[in-house]
Amino acid sequence: MFLHDLNPTVKALTIIGAVFLLAFVFDPVTPLLYIVWTVLVTFLFGTFKKRYYLYYFIPFTLFAFGMFWTTIVFSDTASATSETVSFLGMEFPTEDIWTAAALGLRVLAFASLSLLFLFTTNMVHFILSLIQQLKLPPKIAYGVLAGYRFLPMLKTEFQQIRAAHRIRGVNRPDSWKEKLLQYQRFAIPLLAGAIRKAERTAIAMESKGFTGAKARTFYRPMRVQWKDWLFPVMMFGMLGVTIAVLLYFGYFSWYDGQL
Amino acid sequence: MNSWKLKEIVVMSVLSVVFAVVYLAFLPVGKILVGFFGPIGYDLIFGIWFIVSIIAAYIIRKPGAAFLSETIAAAVEVLLGNAVGPMLLVSGMIQGLGAESAFAMTRYKRYDLFTLMLAGVMAAVFSFVWGYFLSGYAALSTGYVAAMFIARIISGAIISGVAGKALSDALAKTGVLSSFALGKEHRRKHAA
Repeated sequence: MFLHDLNPTVKALTIIGAVFLLAFVFDPVTPLLYIVWTVLVTFLFGTFKKRYYLYYFIPFTLFAFGMFWTTIVFSDTASATSETVSFLGMEFPTEDIWTAAALGLRVLAFASLSLLFLFTTNMVHFILSLIQQLKLPPKIAYGVLAGYRFLPMLKTEFQQIRAAHRIRGVNRPDSWKEKLLQYQRFAIPLLAGAIRKAERTAIAMESKGFTGAKARTFYRPMRVQWKDWLFPVMMFGMLGVTIAVLLYFGYFSWYDGQL
Repeated sequence: MNSWKLKEIVVMSVLSVVFAVVYLAFLPVGKILVGFFGPIGYDLIFGIWFIVSIIAAYIIRKPGAAFLSETIAAAVEVLLGNAVGPMLLVSGMIQGLGAESAFAMTRYKRYDLFTLMLAGVMAAVFSFVWGYFLSGYAALSTGYVAAMFIARIISGAIISGVAGKALSDALAKTGVLSSFALGKEHRRKHAA
C-alpha cells in the first residue's frame, strides 16, 4: 500500500511539519476537519487491523477531553467576555469554550497524525532511512537499534529478578506502598543487568567489524522517489485548502495572543 | 561524536529505552494528579521526565549525553505510542537541551550535586517555556501558571537532580560502570 511504501523520513518530516503548523491554529474547526482527513488517508492507504487503531485512539480521546475540561475550568477569567454558555449546569464564557475545544481537538489531530505514522511504518526501515537520507551517524543509529532490541529482553529480565527475589523469601507485595518499594528494589539489578548486556553487545558489534564509519554499504538501500513527494503535497495541500476555506467563511483563527 | 566509544552509545541508548518505558508509565500517574490538582499535577512530578538526561550525562560525561539520551527516550516513547503524539519528540529535545545547557555552563568539567540539580532546573525552565506555547498555559490565570513553574523547577531539581544522582551512584556501587567516567571516579575515591 501507498503509505507503507513511502520513504519513512519523508513521511516523518511531513507529519512533524503538519503538527508544527497545527500548533499555531486556535480555532476548533481546522483541527476537526484535519482529523477527518488524516483518519481517512490512514484507512484508505494503509493496511492494518482496524480494531487496533480504535484501541489506540480511545485513550487519546480521553486525554483530549481532559485537556478541554482543564482549559475551561482553569482559564484566565480576566480575558473572558460577557457572553456565556451554560454547560452541565454551569456558566462559561463562550470564548473559553471555543479555545478549549481548539486545544482539545488539536491533541486529537496530533494523535491521528502520529497514529498514521505508527501504523504504517517499520521501525528498522525508519532508522535505516534516517541514516541514509538524514545522514544520522551510523554509530548512533545502530547503537539505538541495538538498545531498542533490549525492550522485550528487559521484560524477561524483570520476571527473572522477581522470581529470584521470591525464591530468597521476599514476599509478594500486598499494598500499594510495598509495591512501590518492590520497584525500588528491582531498579538497580535491572539497570545493572541492562548496562552489562549493552556493553557486551557493543563489544560484539566491534569484534564483527562495526566501526561506525559513514562510508558503508547497505543491505537495504532506502531512496526518495518522485512518488514520495505525493504525501507531503497531499497533507500540506489539504491543510492549506482547509485554512483557505475557513478563512473565507470567517471561522479560522491563527495564534494572535488571544490566550 | 568521534570521541564517543560505541559502548557508551549503546549503554546510553539502553538507558534511554528503559527510561522511555518509565516515562510512559508515569503519564497515567500524572493524569491522576491532574485529576486532583488540575494541570499543576504534571508539574509536581515533572522531574521524572528529565531524569535520563541527568543520569546519562553523569555516567558518561561527554558533551551531548544529556541531549541525545533525552531525545532517544522521547523517540522511543513516540515509537511505542503515547497520548501526546510526535510533538513529544520535540519536547524531549528541548528538555534535553535544557539539561545540556547546565553541563555546558560548567564546560563539562563539574558533575557534582549542584550541577546535576541545575541541569534539572534548566530542563524545567526550557520545557516550561515550550509548554507555555504548545499547551496554551497562557489560557490559565497568571498566579496558577507561576505556581506551576515553581513546582516544575523544584521537581526538576529534586526528582531528576537528587534522585538521578542517587540512582547513578547506587549503580556505580555495583561495579557495572567500571569502564565509564562515573565508575572510574567512584573507584578512585574508594581506592584513596
